[in-house]
Amino acid sequence: MSKTVSANSDRAEWQREFDAQTEGQRPRTNRSGIPIKPLYGPEDWTSDRHEADLGLPGQGPMTRGIYASMYRGRPWSQRQLVGLGTAFDYNDRQRRMAGAGASALSLCPCNSVYRGYDMDEVDPLLLGTCGVVINTAEQMSTALDGIALERISIGLNDPTPFTLFAFVLAHAKKTGTPWDQISGTSNQSDYLSHFVANHMFLRLSLEGSRRVLVDHIDWCAKHAPKWNALSVVGQHMQQAGATPAQAMGFTLASGIQYAEDCRARGLDLAAVLPRFTFFFDISISVFEEIAKFRAGRRLWAKIVRERLGINDPRAARFKFHAQTSGVDLTRQQPLNNIVRVAVQAMAGVLGGLQSMHTDAYDEVLSSPVEEAARIAVATQNILREEAHLDEVVDPLGGSYYVEALTNQMEAEIEKTLAQVDRAGGMFEAVKGGLVQRLCGESALAWQAEVESGRQKVVGVNGWQIDEPPDVRKPQERPDPATIDRYLKEFAAFKAARAPATIAKALDELSRAAEDDRINLFGKVVEAAMIGCTHGEITGRLRRDLGFGNPLVMA
Amino acid sequence: MSDWLERLRAGDRATLARAITAVENETPEARAVLKAIFPHLGKALVVGITGPPGAGKSTLINAYIETLRARGQTVGVVAVDPSSPITGGAILGDRIRMGGHSGDPGVFVRSLASRGHLGGLSRTAAHVIDVMDASGRDVVIVETVGAGQSEVEVAEIAPTKVVVAAPGLGDDIQAIKAGILEIADIFVVNKADLPLADRTAGQLLDMLRLKDHGEWRIPVLKTVALKNEGIEALADAIAQHAKLAETSRPAPRARAAKLIAAQAADLARRSIQALEEKVIDDYCDQVLSGALELEEAAQRALAKAIARS
Amino acid sequence: MTTDLRPPKVLMTKIGLDGHDRGGRVVATYLRDAGMEVVFTGPWKSIPEVIATAQEEDVDVIGISSLASDHLLVPKLMAALRENGLDHVGVVVGGIVPDRDERDLLAVGVARVFHPGASLDEIVPFVDRLAKNVRQRRQGL
Repeated sequence: MSKTVSANSDRAEWQREFDAQTEGQRPRTNRSGIPIKPLYGPEDWTSDRHEADLGLPGQGPMTRGIYASMYRGRPWSQRQLVGLGTAFDYNDRQRRMAGAGASALSLCPCNSVYRGYDMDEVDPLLLGTCGVVINTAEQMSTALDGIALERISIGLNDPTPFTLFAFVLAHAKKTGTPWDQISGTSNQSDYLSHFVANHMFLRLSLEGSRRVLVDHIDWCAKHAPKWNALSVVGQHMQQAGATPAQAMGFTLASGIQYAEDCRARGLDLAAVLPRFTFFFDISISVFEEIAKFRAGRRLWAKIVRERLGINDPRAARFKFHAQTSGVDLTRQQPLNNIVRVAVQAMAGVLGGLQSMHTDAYDEVLSSPVEEAARIAVATQNILREEAHLDEVVDPLGGSYYVEALTNQMEAEIEKTLAQVDRAGGMFEAVKGGLVQRLCGESALAWQAEVESGRQKVVGVNGWQIDEPPDVRKPQERPDPATIDRYLKEFAAFKAARAPATIAKALDELSRAAEDDRINLFGKVVEAAMIGCTHGEITGRLRRDLGFGNPLVMA
Repeated sequence: MSDWLERLRAGDRATLARAITAVENETPEARAVLKAIFPHLGKALVVGITGPPGAGKSTLINAYIETLRARGQTVGVVAVDPSSPITGGAILGDRIRMGGHSGDPGVFVRSLASRGHLGGLSRTAAHVIDVMDASGRDVVIVETVGAGQSEVEVAEIAPTKVVVAAPGLGDDIQAIKAGILEIADIFVVNKADLPLADRTAGQLLDMLRLKDHGEWRIPVLKTVALKNEGIEALADAIAQHAKLAETSRPAPRARAAKLIAAQAADLARRSIQALEEKVIDDYCDQVLSGALELEEAAQRALAKAIARS
Repeated sequence: MTTDLRPPKVLMTKIGLDGHDRGGRVVATYLRDAGMEVVFTGPWKSIPEVIATAQEEDVDVIGISSLASDHLLVPKLMAALRENGLDHVGVVVGGIVPDRDERDLLAVGVARVFHPGASLDEIVPFVDRLAKNVRQRRQGL
């Protein structure tokens, strides 16, 4: 205790001054509905709780980070989703990026691929306008030509039944790369999140997806052990309106569901859990996001230990990728978005992410122009190299506010988990529409905040200016002649195959769909190697396993 | 006038849509439309399908539509959705079109919000059915969600009423008991591949034992709409019941009888409301003093009101 | 020619490949709360499906919600509306639409393009007015 007179604090006096200075102000809450006090102190958190709440990074409660060294040992990786046009365009761009020293590549396919169609099944106007068009193992070989697979980590946006990964495996076989050397992640493997919120990625019925996903996890554990077969996605639900606490709760509930599905199949959880990864949205609500990530990390470690009964720190590591939220970006005064993205990215790094995508400032205007994409990457470099956010592990740990908020967010997340548990787990909660309803209600509540002006958004409901029209040189759309040529090549490729071989491979898929004892993903890989197309494989499984129309709830 | 009627009877979709709008919105054309189509009614089989949310009604209806289409029949669907009691607005869920019949000219789906109909929802629904009937639809399906009073009333318009339940929805059985047991001509236990299906079917059969049977023995059918199982049997049962109902009382006649009764009640209510306060006050005095019985007073007031209007 | 007592009727739908439906849902809910009747479909409707639904439901306005590049199909929708005698129906588009494409959409008859951040105070009265104009323009039987 200090003995100087000036150090004596008078709580009542502070309260009087505070009240006088803030008269008439409304109470504050964050997006998850937690009341925010103006000042936090030892009454909210004390370091007596250090062991119980925090511990050390890579150990115990896991709050401070999943690795002992965090960014000193391995900087977060920068993954920017890229890809427009054809496999040739993609290869050009990847070679340029690999030349610039990139050690990770991401592949974001065209929406036609997401929807499970080949390029000859959709309106050619839409082909390649928001992702790369890849329908065959051949085209994947074109896209990855000259890239050393064993030295690069691949992020594939590849929902069930994982045809793009099958094409990568076929390419690896052809070029002599052993499958156990291939590393990366099946992003968008979380079909539950697609059924709730991002219907674009939905290809099979809920039950069909459930079967294929567990087969995929099983197959990867045996044949491609460095591949992360599952990425559980909270991003879609937060984008669809879920509060940060709800989004974390739904994601953890999905993680539990997938782990239990694996266990029900007889897989060894200690072996598959270390390959579980997660993917989140980072909103601009800075401290809330930091607390969300810290609380989620702590909860997952606890779930793995207590609920799933696995006592291995590797299995308890909450590895996650995060993307700055496009929902916070505005069309008005778009350059302001550079600032928003920087703040969101800071929150993500301070929350302890493993990998990040920063949005380009113009994503609400169009597909990003090249300069905007470059600024997005530079933002991450500036945070690391100039602001040195990578130097100290969990730098906000021990802050009264951050620790109190982490505990409160944890309690809020547990409420969502309990809601889902009462509905019979995430699969049932999604099938019955509970999660969709909660996301929808939160979206409306948020909209009401903005409409009423209680939540200010610069340029939207405050500080508006008269703006000139958008005069930037727009992102090139794929040249129609190129697309036309690509379509013709595709038709020629299909015509040159032996129809009987293709029919046989697809029938094998049907047989596997009927018979639970056959690994369906193994059959997808075989079909891909024989020359079946993405649309043929997905179409056949959609026929046999059904297509789940999303529950449409307004 | 006869121009549109010809187009309607030839099955023209645009004319059908506009004629429905006229009767639904009670536009000045509505009376003429109704008058013109009445002589052309009676061809359609009209079936009401209702049941609690979650029973898989929409999937069942889609499978039923598929069966009807395979049998070469054309279909009209009236899908009733609840309106907001506060604003009168409604989200019409478009559940039936999700089944992939959109674009098939043999299927015509029209949503109907439950609120804001001058003569009541069931009257409007009856008019919409009539227009579809006159346009030559072979089968008209009326779908309602839930088992509230107005849903039951709407379902009652159809001479053949199907109530759908799903296994293990214990509370829903209670709801059915309370609300729509009386009106069901056919029970369906959908999702019959789930556990408890037999128990639910058994519970329904038990309840039916207490009920008086006429000529028609109410069947409890099991279906798995998602896998298209049991749908042929359902379609057959609906056709059988419709035939029986038709012989006892032709559907347009039954519908017209109900409409006349409803319109008459409406007319009486409006006439009474139009009486001067003083007249009603007089009757009140007489009833309160014991000089006049309540029913007697009502009859006199009504007679006076009708004489004046 | 007709005095309709019923509220405006709107078809809220998505064409093309994208499946994000938050925007469309929020707008549909606000239109309902303003007393309108909204036929709300799932995503991925084909143009013939949208035409069939608009015709069967006899709607006044079609709202297309677009996030990716699906708005590129809207000119085809406008042409199909004309071919099917539905040119009286008002069409609004909401979502991420680059300026150059907005000009193209307005040129083919789209009544208005709403961008992200558009206030519901703008959208709701606009749709209401548009629906009322459509009602006045349309033919009876």
